[in-house]
Amino acid sequence: MMIRDRMAYPGRLIVDTFGIVARCGVLLFLYQYIFKIKGGQINGINFTTASWSMFLYFSFMTLRLRDISSFIMQDIKSGTIEILLAKPINYLLYRIWWQIGAGVYPFLVVSFFGSILLAFLVGVPSTMLSLFFLLSFSLTFIFSIIISVLIYSLIGLLAFWIEDIKPLFWIVDKTVMVLGGSYLPVALFPPLMYQIALWSPFGAAQFITHTVYTTWRFDYLKMFGIQILWIVILTGIVSIVFRRAHKKVSVNGG
Amino acid sequence: MKKEFIFALESIQKNIRSSAELRTSFWMNIFGMALNNIAFILIWVFLTQTVGSIGGWTVYDVIGLQGFSSFVFGFSMSFNGGLHRTSLIVSSGTFDQFLTSPKNILVRLATSYLHVSAIGDMLFGAICIGIYLYMINAGFTQIILTLIILIFSILVFTGVTICIQAISFYFTDPDSVTRSIFELFFTPALFHGGAFQGPVRFIFIFIIPSLLIGALPVESITHLGYLKALLLVILSIAWFIFSIWLFNKSIKKYESSNFMTFGQ
Repeated sequence: MMIRDRMAYPGRLIVDTFGIVARCGVLLFLYQYIFKIKGGQINGINFTTASWSMFLYFSFMTLRLRDISSFIMQDIKSGTIEILLAKPINYLLYRIWWQIGAGVYPFLVVSFFGSILLAFLVGVPSTMLSLFFLLSFSLTFIFSIIISVLIYSLIGLLAFWIEDIKPLFWIVDKTVMVLGGSYLPVALFPPLMYQIALWSPFGAAQFITHTVYTTWRFDYLKMFGIQILWIVILTGIVSIVFRRAHKKVSVNGG
Repeated sequence: MKKEFIFALESIQKNIRSSAELRTSFWMNIFGMALNNIAFILIWVFLTQTVGSIGGWTVYDVIGLQGFSSFVFGFSMSFNGGLHRTSLIVSSGTFDQFLTSPKNILVRLATSYLHVSAIGDMLFGAICIGIYLYMINAGFTQIILTLIILIFSILVFTGVTICIQAISFYFTDPDSVTRSIFELFFTPALFHGGAFQGPVRFIFIFIIPSLLIGALPVESITHLGYLKALLLVILSIAWFIFSIWLFNKSIKKYESSNFMTFGQ
């Protein structure tokens, strides 16, 4: 239903497409220049690999999983949460599936056409031309979705206690942006920052950007392990917070 | 002119007072946004650490760039916050209230809304500009130049914003379009200025004036580049005059949906 809704109203798609062009497109020009003046290789990666790494981040963002925070906050502020909690459904699962459904169409369109355009403009790194890449990418992509949804749901649920979660959301969102390798590919991070990106949930939510590096083949098991660990921890925290939040709600019939 | 200025000041005062009613939220928004802005500094500092100087830009220039971009954006969102909501106002049909106002439409529209978090942008921008000036050992001339350039950066940002929002009068669902174009204009203003070279630099100065917000001001101040400063002044005045003309022309395209409401 959400996919049909997004197809009928293409406004969001226009915004997403322009967003990718503005960010990714301009970044490509800039990094092309930077790689050129630095001899074509920086920290063992070339311009093509850096481009795909950043593109994967921006394409993932068109899923708009982070919007789940503001939707949960709206439900809480408007009181709609009372109605939704009284229904025989799991509120959080409902919100999560709604959010994924809303993002699938722009994600598929932007990723499909963006990939073709990028392959045409900068080529495809050899690391992406294997069955191993496809399988491992798919798995880390699913894990990334789960971690993102859990992080942003947790922020949304804090609206039960905090008047306005926006400032907290901005900080978490920007941390994901920095550690996820958005405007600066993770391979170009200084060593300490790379370790923080590797071991924090904010970086783990964007491990898809690591899949194009040659090091991925050696590190993928460790990274899967880190992602699974964060999924378990975050699921526990979200469950506890949701249970406590549930107790705060008083549903009045009428 | 004097009356319009006094009206604008009173309107801004009223906006700040009403936003400050929710005190905790007000301060959280301001400090949250200031913290949030550190992200871009970190990104470009990491890049500079890894690859060294790019286009002669140092870490201090990056701090200055983020300072200018944040301050100009924050200033516009705070004191001209209504401009950024034009597309929503036009599409909802509530533009009637501005048309029927005895005040200047553009001033009335611009000062009709305050984005609280933008005060955090301004605060962050001012701190960054201060750090930048201190780190480059700025002399008296550079400090004066900074103040002058800030005025013209704000002018060009406001001019381009008016142009973008004027497009609202030509579309039935203008919000997506204006947001997309604004994104295309403002996002490059946050990027490492030293990496804009050749044709890309030309495009982002003369066609999409993103570099006039932060990169060109920083280069003018660091190297006392008076020619670049002059270029900024000329382009900002041109953009501003063009934006007023375009806005007044575009208003005529507005179709009232007969949704009369009283002003805020």
